[in-house]
Amino acid sequence: MRVSEQDFVGRDVITVSDFRREEILFLLDTAARFENETGTPLAGRVIAALFFEASTRTRLSFESAVGRLGGTSIGFAEAGASSATKGENLSDTVRVVEGYSDLLLLRHPLEGAARLAAEFVDIPVVNCGDGAHQHPTQTFVDLYTMRRECGRLDGLHVVFCGDLRFGRAVHSLVSVLALFNARVTLVSPSFLRLPAEHRHTLESNGVIYNEAPDLESSLAEADVLYMTRVQRERFTDPLEYERFKDTYTLDLNVLKRASDQLAILHPLPRVNEIAREVDGQSHAAYFRQAHYGVAVRKALLALLLGVAGEVPK
Amino acid sequence: MNDSGRDPGAARNRENVYEVSKLDRGTVIDHLRAGTAVRAASVLRLPPSCPMMLGVNLESERLGRKDIIKIRHYELSEEEAAKVALISPDATLSIIRDFSVAQKIDLHPPIAFRGLIRCTNDVCITHSEGIRGRFFVASHDPVTAACEYCGRHITADHFEFEKNA
Repeated sequence: MRVSEQDFVGRDVITVSDFRREEILFLLDTAARFENETGTPLAGRVIAALFFEASTRTRLSFESAVGRLGGTSIGFAEAGASSATKGENLSDTVRVVEGYSDLLLLRHPLEGAARLAAEFVDIPVVNCGDGAHQHPTQTFVDLYTMRRECGRLDGLHVVFCGDLRFGRAVHSLVSVLALFNARVTLVSPSFLRLPAEHRHTLESNGVIYNEAPDLESSLAEADVLYMTRVQRERFTDPLEYERFKDTYTLDLNVLKRASDQLAILHPLPRVNEIAREVDGQSHAAYFRQAHYGVAVRKALLALLLGVAGEVPK
Repeated sequence: MNDSGRDPGAARNRENVYEVSKLDRGTVIDHLRAGTAVRAASVLRLPPSCPMMLGVNLESERLGRKDIIKIRHYELSEEEAAKVALISPDATLSIIRDFSVAQKIDLHPPIAFRGLIRCTNDVCITHSEGIRGRFFVASHDPVTAACEYCGRHITADHFEFEKNA
């Protein structure tokens, strides 16, 4: 089915599974158009960024996208700066902010927060991460990066490594890879294994996947390695975190087995899971990935607000 | 006991036969999967004095083994029937009036529902906002419900039923 800009206007972005393959490709094409865009299609528009949980890349790349397109950002970068500290619930907060803005960006530690917010307001809500659940704009950035780095999206072999249990970027990306006929390898300690519902999604969508304990031997046929950090903030027991935090480290020795075309992605921030010596390798795409985030988020904002057509093709 | 719920073996005890087989008015939940009757009975909101009889591990042509619940002078609400269907998706429900079956329903888990169960994910937004959960059935055997908000998949064994629904 043909996709047009009208298909995006006013939509919420809660999970990636809300989007069809054709719509995702349309978004990525629009992002390519927006990479060097300096017009001001968001002039006069106010974007509210409610970040109840810390963020660097997502928040700043959205703010950069808004600024570069001539819009204005309002909001807060931590829950402590909001009325949540006074006991206000989320549904009240978003109903108030709806009156101040044209679009709402929401990051929240509780899972399902974005879906709930979208039920209470009429302006578009973009999920910028809800606990360990979903992070759809990161997924769009990941897909954009894969296509830029590998030259295609279809039929890629993607290896996920690290914290597959709590990593929302992993959960979002895994749920959409079936649309692109990917083959998937999951590398994690058993405690941080991909949750059953996401393995079920892979199975029910016919994705060929395997679970492997060892990173090195999984790289020989991989097109993409998606490294993740073991997230201290998701552990209730600090000892458990200490036990798993250094399970996998990607260094030049591990990379010896990798194919030449391997692209290494990481949603960042990293801690120890990628050695600094890897940064200079052509495989290392993670900083470019973070930069692509601005173009993808520019395109998304413009599409949701119905002004993408104001940018020349 | 055969599928009609009558247990020939129990005929030796006349009082027992009367209690199990002759319901003047009430509800019979039949073809419950073996081992689910106690749980199904516990999610119903029966008046404290309401007589209820449970049969467990009875022979069944359809299921091999089944459980059955008979409740005197009480008709299940739609919500209660939906809860039973989530626990045992093959069950049948008969409403008895004047010693005969007034209505017979093959129970099926609802495709999508609000409430009935609570999300088992402690960090699901529904808990802090005090709203009823919303779910869809992701698979039928075993019944697995998915939370519309946080995406958590919950299998029937782990359903936590609302107490006030």
